Amino acid sequence: VNLLRLISWPYARRHVLRTILTASGIVLGVSVFGGMHTANRTVLGAFAQTIDRIAGKTELQVTAGDTGFGEDVLDVVQSAKTVAVAVPVIEAVVASNIAGQGNLRVLAVDMTGDRRLREYDFDSADDLVLEDALIFLAQPDSVILTKEFAERNGLSIGSRLRLGTAVGQTAFTVRGLMKSSGLATAFGGNLAVMDVYAAQKMFGRGRMFDRVDLALKEGATITAGQQELRTLLGPAFEVQPPSMRGQQFEAMLAAYSIMLAASSAFALFIGVFIIYNSFTIAVAERRSEIGILRALGATRAQIGRIFLAEGAAIGIVGSATGLAIGVLLSRSVATSIATLFGDVYGVSQQAGELATDPVVLSLAFAAGIVTSVVAAAIPARAAARVDPVMALQKGRQQLLSAGESRVRVMLAAGLVIVAIASPVFGRTRPVFYAGYVSGIVAVLLLAPLLSLWVARAIRPVLAWMRPVEGALAADSLIQAPRRTSATVTALMLCLAVVVAFSGMARSTYDSIAQWVDTALNPDLFVTSSATPEVQAPRFPSTMASEIAAIPGVERVQMFRNGRIAYGDGQVMVVALEMESVANTSPQEPVAGNRDDMYREAAAGRGVIVSDSLAQLRGLSPGTPVEIPAPYGLIRLPVVGVVVDYSDGQGAILMDRSVFTRYWRDDTVSDFRVYAQTGTSVETLRQRIVERFANERQVFVLTNEELRSYILNVADQWFNLTWVQIAIAVVVAVLGIVNTLTVSITDRRRELGVLRAVGGLRRQILGTVWLEGVAIAGIGLVLGNIVGGINLYYLLDIVRQDVAGLRLAYTYPLVTAATLVPVMLGAAFSAAIWPAELAVRGSLVEALEYE
Amino acid sequence: MSRGAVIAALSLVLLAGFESAGSAADEARRIVDEVQRRGKSMSLRYNGLLQSFDSGGKTSEKRWTFERTGSHGQSKSVIRFTAPPEVRGVALLVVNHPDKASDQWMWTPALERDRRIALQDRSTRFFGTDFSFEDLEERDAEQYTYALKPDQVIDGVSCWTIESRPRESKSSQYTKSIVWVRKDNYGVARIDSYIKDEVVRRLNYQSFENIQGVWTARELRMTDLRRGGITRLVLENVQYNAPLQESDFTLQALRRQ
Repeated sequence: VNLLRLISWPYARRHVLRTILTASGIVLGVSVFGGMHTANRTVLGAFAQTIDRIAGKTELQVTAGDTGFGEDVLDVVQSAKTVAVAVPVIEAVVASNIAGQGNLRVLAVDMTGDRRLREYDFDSADDLVLEDALIFLAQPDSVILTKEFAERNGLSIGSRLRLGTAVGQTAFTVRGLMKSSGLATAFGGNLAVMDVYAAQKMFGRGRMFDRVDLALKEGATITAGQQELRTLLGPAFEVQPPSMRGQQFEAMLAAYSIMLAASSAFALFIGVFIIYNSFTIAVAERRSEIGILRALGATRAQIGRIFLAEGAAIGIVGSATGLAIGVLLSRSVATSIATLFGDVYGVSQQAGELATDPVVLSLAFAAGIVTSVVAAAIPARAAARVDPVMALQKGRQQLLSAGESRVRVMLAAGLVIVAIASPVFGRTRPVFYAGYVSGIVAVLLLAPLLSLWVARAIRPVLAWMRPVEGALAADSLIQAPRRTSATVTALMLCLAVVVAFSGMARSTYDSIAQWVDTALNPDLFVTSSATPEVQAPRFPSTMASEIAAIPGVERVQMFRNGRIAYGDGQVMVVALEMESVANTSPQEPVAGNRDDMYREAAAGRGVIVSDSLAQLRGLSPGTPVEIPAPYGLIRLPVVGVVVDYSDGQGAILMDRSVFTRYWRDDTVSDFRVYAQTGTSVETLRQRIVERFANERQVFVLTNEELRSYILNVADQWFNLTWVQIAIAVVVAVLGIVNTLTVSITDRRRELGVLRAVGGLRRQILGTVWLEGVAIAGIGLVLGNIVGGINLYYLLDIVRQDVAGLRLAYTYPLVTAATLVPVMLGAAFSAAIWPAELAVRGSLVEALEYE
Repeated sequence: MSRGAVIAALSLVLLAGFESAGSAADEARRIVDEVQRRGKSMSLRYNGLLQSFDSGGKTSEKRWTFERTGSHGQSKSVIRFTAPPEVRGVALLVVNHPDKASDQWMWTPALERDRRIALQDRSTRFFGTDFSFEDLEERDAEQYTYALKPDQVIDGVSCWTIESRPRESKSSQYTKSIVWVRKDNYGVARIDSYIKDEVVRRLNYQSFENIQGVWTARELRMTDLRRGGITRLVLENVQYNAPLQESDFTLQALRRQ
């Protein structure tokens, strides 16, 4: 402690900005780690809480994915010996049509039995006023709102509220108000309760329910209830406690969570380099001080401990600050994650109270300190080894010894061989990942050498640009590779991740765009919701002929989709009129014969699967698949594999006749309309809107609008790329400021001599600026190379282990080009202050140095 | 008054089986049998006025027509709401079974469809009134045990007091019921329903009138003692053994109306 007080504290006070910059490495890592996890947890927690509130006392829920099932299933569930109460439920999302209030989540239940499962507080006139239970059931326009929503919008019992339904804008009558607690707090109060049978009509559900909620008889265990119901209902039905829906949701978000975890771990990893860099610099800067201490009798261990203690102190301060910033940021991050969930998965969820997890925050705090200490360990070791005599000889410590260099090169060469050999000789995943890790370690080992090589390579360029300043800047980098290697490594890693993620975004975007062009080529899409919500109202199939009768319509196709349980996960079932699709938008299969594929599928003799599903489940043409449906097990062979991005977890495409037979559901999610030649698409759109104006709620999207929507959603997925670019910029600024500051301190004598012999102010400034820009340039070169290799590995991981998506390798040239001015600009900005230091210092002091 | 009127009104039959476990029990069972015998009719029709008053002073009123065919335990009944306008046309078909809970369907004309009312949770209130769905059911008398308690006077009339408890096999929200049967005409005067040791509902029978030889309570008053709500049912135009068609007590008939 004394050494810290006497030696470290004065140093920190003299270099306040440097100390802050050093700590900011940890602040950055811990804030991203803590903030991202808190935000993620907040949204998932809010989702789980909503499920909990909606579920009430429900012990088990019976579902068949989100396709729903017939009313007869309710009778089967109610007949089970273990079941005490079973009630049908439909959930739907409707536009509230109130400015600023967004959508209302409708929970439609059978009030005659539902009160056993959910607490509506009917008994207290103050808490809830249900005008009349019988009127509520008798009138399909009845709706119960939350008191909060009603008060927000000046509604009371008897008020009328217009909601968008399958039968057009419909006026509902408020017949009850729920107090703002429990159930009523789900979805931030944007909840409406209505009768389930009225909901069937309003939301085009036919005679189907979305799920059955149930409570078990006293003494019956959850397991016994599940077993009995599974036996009674068959494999198409999931019988799970409500909490499992939360877990399914989390599983659905697996790919997103992986990305999030990678980003936050990456931020912390970058922190290591910033700390390492700062401490390496500090050791270099304080060589004479260390030498004096050693000369006065300080042991090597004591010197090492000083630096480790400094690392720990900075880690504590940085982690605490990082946690505070992270928690502050998590609110807005949670909101954007919630928006992403809504857009990508169709699950509207508002981020509720911040869900800070003491364990995660403690982990982040501890990780920050450990990271800091670990990053300081090598410089501390170097400090302990400082020879007092050598400490007086400037430059010697900076040179990379030939022996050390040889060891690094040999080790790295071995790892490179492993990295190259792994995909060639080993097809197993462990071997693949071993190769990936070997490649990363090899790059880290080679980073100092690579930066030295690149510095030598760009010396002529710099010298050509500015003969004096350029040569001096390049020589500074070449003579002291250790000074710059940590910054270059951090930059390289940042940019490698940016390039790889951006490449993935580009590849995904291109692939989806290509799929949209071939598979989604109708002129118009008739939907019931402005956004493709799974729980949007559905249309009756009879509407197809009504659309077909509109002048200018060439062809109408019915489209129906829904997620179902499949194996240990879920897949999207897509029901199409295969024969018609074969004529309008046939896709070239990845596997199988196109004509045979459509013929067999149209005849109901096979199904087409998405390439991603085929990859993840090992399916190929001829493979028999078993699809559990509510009214039978579908056993059909795969007749083709196509690229399809309907769902992240894969899709099964079947003829509509198969779907209607096995689901007993002929409702339609949306209609795809082809215009006759010579008919204006805009005119046709107007005709369709007018045809159903007072009858149904229809949204008619043009091909371009749908395409934009889909591609926008794809874009949102990769907004994290921008976060990573921002991190890279911060890293560049921090690293370059640090590196240049010490470079100037190191070269005070040299710079002093330059000024003494007539070196101009602008030449000194130019030298430092160029050195900063050169560091960024080296980082850019190496980052792009490593990023390109990283992209290859990531695409393989996405294909093989995450989503099964076949994404073409597309180098993100635009991002790479954007990074050049961004990083060079950041480097130049970072160099301004150190450059000023270089020219403002006292010439006398500079010449007296050492 | 008549036991038949009680059954007719809301099928509230809490009378039944008996164990030959002593003279008091035998006597209780004899009384129950006599109540049932005197109230027996092949059919019933009446117009009902249902008024609910909650503890906050809020009042709601509905009118219906009631028709029943068949005798106790195997009867079928249809309730059709006639007022207020919002519920006009809503109909309820109740098919009673001697050995299990009744089946019930509801027809809602605004939706043009029927729905089955699953009475798994029979403690639920009957459409906002103070009756529960369980209170609507005809029950198998054999699933209860009875005990005769000391006589009491209700509304100035001397009554037998009978304690009725569901057997273990019988699922009921109530732990027990106390039934007071008038000695002058074998009409039920009051039923107190208990959950554990607390009286939760009290049903009073009033305004007795002899209609076609059956003593009929023209007014029933159910009090939910926990909520403080009261529901009053008034029977008008009561007619026993009217010629009713069996085919009018089906789902198809419900949909036709």
